[in-house]
Amino acid sequence: MATDLRISNISKIYPGCVANDNVSLQFKSGKIYALLGENGAGKSTLVKILSGVISPDNGEVFLNEKNLKLSSPLDAKKNKIGMVFQHFNLFETLSVFENLSIDATEDNKSLRVRINEILKKYNFSIDLDIPVLNLSAGQKQKVEIIRCLLRSPKVLIMDEPTSVLTEQETEELFISLKKFCDEGILIIYITHKLKEVLSLCDEVAVMRKGKVVSVSQTQNEKVETLANKMVGQKLAKIKKKINISKNKDEIFKVKHLNFYSDDPFETSLVNLNFSVKKGECLGIAGISGNGQNELFQILSGEIITPDTSIIFRNKEIAKLNPKQRREYLMAFSPEDRISQAAVPELKIYENVALNNFKSSNFFEKGLVNERKIKEHSKKILSDFSVNTDNVELKSQFLSGGNLQKLILGRELITAPELLICYNPTWGLDVGAINYIHETLIKINDQEKSTILISTDTEELLKLSDRIAVIYKGKLSKIMPSEEVTPEKLGVLMGGGSID
Amino acid sequence: MSLDISFIGILIGSIMASSVPLILAASGELITERSGVLNLGVEGMMIIGAISGFALMVITDNLFIAIVGSMLSGVIISLIFGFLTQSLLTNHVATGLALTIFGIGLSAMLGKNFVGIPGKEFPILFSSLRESIPFFGPILFGHSIVLYFAFALPFLTNYFLKKTKLGLVVRAVGDSPVSASNQGINVILVRYCCILYGGAMCGLAGAYLSLIYTPQWIENMTAGRGWIALALVVFATWSPIKVLIGALIFGGITILQLHMQAIGFRIPVQFLSALPYLMTIIVLVVISRDSRKIKLNTPTSLGRIFYKEK
Repeated sequence: MATDLRISNISKIYPGCVANDNVSLQFKSGKIYALLGENGAGKSTLVKILSGVISPDNGEVFLNEKNLKLSSPLDAKKNKIGMVFQHFNLFETLSVFENLSIDATEDNKSLRVRINEILKKYNFSIDLDIPVLNLSAGQKQKVEIIRCLLRSPKVLIMDEPTSVLTEQETEELFISLKKFCDEGILIIYITHKLKEVLSLCDEVAVMRKGKVVSVSQTQNEKVETLANKMVGQKLAKIKKKINISKNKDEIFKVKHLNFYSDDPFETSLVNLNFSVKKGECLGIAGISGNGQNELFQILSGEIITPDTSIIFRNKEIAKLNPKQRREYLMAFSPEDRISQAAVPELKIYENVALNNFKSSNFFEKGLVNERKIKEHSKKILSDFSVNTDNVELKSQFLSGGNLQKLILGRELITAPELLICYNPTWGLDVGAINYIHETLIKINDQEKSTILISTDTEELLKLSDRIAVIYKGKLSKIMPSEEVTPEKLGVLMGGGSID
Repeated sequence: MSLDISFIGILIGSIMASSVPLILAASGELITERSGVLNLGVEGMMIIGAISGFALMVITDNLFIAIVGSMLSGVIISLIFGFLTQSLLTNHVATGLALTIFGIGLSAMLGKNFVGIPGKEFPILFSSLRESIPFFGPILFGHSIVLYFAFALPFLTNYFLKKTKLGLVVRAVGDSPVSASNQGINVILVRYCCILYGGAMCGLAGAYLSLIYTPQWIENMTAGRGWIALALVVFATWSPIKVLIGALIFGGITILQLHMQAIGFRIPVQFLSALPYLMTIIVLVVISRDSRKIKLNTPTSLGRIFYKEK
């Protein structure tokens, strides 16, 4: 039976922000629909309304012309609307089977039979009796999808599903989604990745600032046209200059980096050796959870490992803590902006002061020189086009992009010789990503070096001079980026090998 | 030699009796914590249970009413905690501490007129078997029904958490309330139920002290047992069976060191008094050192405030 989903005049207003402004859309089964927009465009709000997590201030949802009352997630489930959230809604410490059985109405035996049928039908391989925390992101997503399929959904909503997947996993996902579509499930695909829209979807609705600004057939669209619709202005194209100077000095050299852990949340690292030249960007690719966290912490000095040698500007720094390493002109931008890079409850200028204890005159005789810090913070805000000039603002009120700019600004003010960043554009929108990329390229142009640990292959290919892949705590051989293709990276990231 | 086999039997029996309030309170708190709620009011709820149980016994002269009443009073006082933390979103730690202080003060006030009144003898089961079987008699028989319940409770709790649907829901809520809510589980309701159940068990633990273990009312008679119960839950890494082991070790060493003091061992008294705490922690740390299991048993959202998006 055909499914017809209609959203009519949905509005949702939060204090100080119109998340959804009179949104009306129509979807029919047999097609894959893309909902495209930057962060904060209102996609997630709309999706939460459709899945009953929040209720709209205004407007209605119709499924096959039946007016749905979606006041709780249960209502969405009853009406056969399935939802795979961007941040998985799984219980990490429970087994896969327990996760799937929690809202099941049947007994465990027949549930297991049905799960196995789905596994077989769609060629998924997942051990049902291990805790979810041992699964890869791709497998977790499959568990979420199975949970939806168990309820034979009419509508399946995928919220930014590929942000944690490898190329291969993404391809597998697309194959599955096309299968579901052929079986008559209406698929709504939320993303800010333009290429995915073009390769997967039939129709695309673009949202900006809470409004639907365009609905069109994807065959009539190109990456550029969609990007301009999404951002609302023309984006400058940036490309890195090829770094020709191959025989420059090695500024940073890591030897015999080993790290052992039996913590199920950590990954052991096995004998990593690499070096970074002056003015070079070394990219480290990999699916999250393959040792990047541990590597970043060791490089920044949060974890000290014995027997590792780290030479930086001809000095052995392996035993130094992060503060000492900063004094040698290293800088760090961790993945988790909120909990690792900045203290969200502190004001902007306080966060700026946090890692500049030595290098400036922020502190005099043990007292804080607020005036100097504030002046300095103002400079960062304007130099790095953070969209506020209020240094008294608590950092938690900055958007991800602005917070990342602030952090980069803070790190770069000491003119570091080496910047190590980990997923610097994670979760940011196109405009902010562009800005961060430009900044990183500028650093290399000034003959300073960067190590870019990232799960985003496109970003790596764009910024790196050489790339290595980390898989299960082991580093692949380091390749010049012009010899690397997304496909090659995908194979290595999935644990395969290339010749 | 006085240290014969029947004496050891009696000793073990008394160790079991002394660990009952810990087992009850810790098992109750364990369920509360597994749902992600940290209630530091265990001591307060226990002492309220102790005074209300004793007062009801004196007033009604009915032990059944006294026991049920003590559990109800635990439920009522934990309801205050539940309302504050779940409906008004107050901080778990601060609210729990306030509950303990409140409970101790309230019980002292309510208990003024009950000081010095003798308790009533609590019926014991299988008393004839206790005398007739050497060694095992005093261990297995001649206890109150509450003791048998307490020793079954960790196993029932384990079964509940691991094998039943409701137990799965409780664990899910403790793991990720946001996910649970998005799955349509009423997180607040589940947490309320777990808090009230914890309150009932703490109330019963208190009543065991004032009605059975030392049948009388003394101000502040829980004497820190609530805090020990709380510590047991954490050091037992939220495993009911390990709570039982921990409670027995604590009770056992408490009783043993008393005997050692009586015999006159040449060890400083202070060290002997500290021994139960030390040994319980050491043993529990040793038996729960598997970091994998700890991760799987620890309620990830413990003590964090949850509110539903609107």
